Amino acid sequence: MRPLFYIHQSSCISPQSSFEPVDIDQLFEPADNKLMAREPSYDGIPPGILRRMGKAVRIGVGAALPIIKGPAEINGIIIGTANGGMEDCIKFLNQIIQYEEGQLTPGNFVQSTPNGIAAQLGLISKNRSYNITHVHRGLSFENAAIDAAMQLADHQDNSYLLGAVDEISAYNYNIDWLGDWFKDENTGSGTLYNSGTKGSIAGEGAAMFLVNRQKENAAASIIAIKTLHTPDLNLVQQSLVNFLEQNLAEGERIDLLLSGENGDARIDPYYHACETLMGEGTTIARFKHLCGEFTTASAISCWLSCHILQQQRIPEHMLKRKGNPNALNRILVYNNYRGEQHGFMLLGRA
Amino acid sequence: METEELKLQLKKQIIEFLNLISVKPEDIKDDEPLFGEGLGLDSIDSIELIVLLGREYGIDIKDPKEGRKVLVDINTMVAYIEQHRTK
Repeated sequence: MRPLFYIHQSSCISPQSSFEPVDIDQLFEPADNKLMAREPSYDGIPPGILRRMGKAVRIGVGAALPIIKGPAEINGIIIGTANGGMEDCIKFLNQIIQYEEGQLTPGNFVQSTPNGIAAQLGLISKNRSYNITHVHRGLSFENAAIDAAMQLADHQDNSYLLGAVDEISAYNYNIDWLGDWFKDENTGSGTLYNSGTKGSIAGEGAAMFLVNRQKENAAASIIAIKTLHTPDLNLVQQSLVNFLEQNLAEGERIDLLLSGENGDARIDPYYHACETLMGEGTTIARFKHLCGEFTTASAISCWLSCHILQQQRIPEHMLKRKGNPNALNRILVYNNYRGEQHGFMLLGRA
Repeated sequence: METEELKLQLKKQIIEFLNLISVKPEDIKDDEPLFGEGLGLDSIDSIELIVLLGREYGIDIKDPKEGRKVLVDINTMVAYIEQHRTK
């Protein structure tokens, strides 16, 4: 089956050492149940622009810089984000209250709009072509990737910058914590997956990809993507069966299931149901202890998949079950956001 | 408040409002242009500075021509604040 597109370059700013130099064997633990992004020095962003950027814009632009400053011509910028610059948004809303809808500074507002990241990338790279932001909660990245695939189906010779970003905002963290989406007890990578309690740990990050339909020199490929909205576990399981039947060739199997398991006991049954569909030879690995739970964590899993496909090895701390693949050729990412939004991504070795 | 004390306070407020990373109050000279050369501020910063004057000193600048005369450097801003502040 011909892939939807090939990934030629990828870049990631996350709570781990994922950005120059990359070292995901080393594990950075959460502090106060939050995994904050390890930010680089952003040498490529002019200081006058950098000082106005909120974190989401900063990490999004920072992760994209190695790609947009590269030699490839980019025919469009396609970004997924659920919240954009949430921290700046809250600052702006607080200003409205504090100053009784009087004089408001423009900086926070400009930085807070979800499309600010793609817009800033367009301005920095002087790219006036297709520029769009997909805002679909836990499926923002998947929908951005589907858009990239649709664009490439119509424009076979184009290349696109595809990516996703979201940040932890203190205000939203507190709301989500009150909603039982983050754990009460102090949790680290060693206790996240077997806590048996509600909630996960918070995370943030940005992952960017240069995608097109040229196979030569590609790092990986995305073969298929499927999304669905449902709390029905049986429907999710059946959808995965159909997805694999439609997209795996005769005799092919999943070498690695990269599971979005996040330590929330309410969500675990979905992941367990999907694991049961994998043969014994399939390796199962997890990634939320690396980046935490957030709306576009699946973009980080896509970056990790590219890294694993290229390196042909999986860091020990990610392994849940070791299978017996001869090589890592097919990776299935299953990510579930709050038991309602499900995304399947099938990646292949280029 | 003494003029020198007001200058220091204003410099700290400008750094905070404009998020001037790595700039210290002593780096901003009293007669250094705020826009173009010197601090290198731009048009969005001018709006932030007008909001700063309104919030911190109760000064409402509505005429852009007047704003251009005030937002030249620290000396001109402080002189204007001393004459027109309402808080």
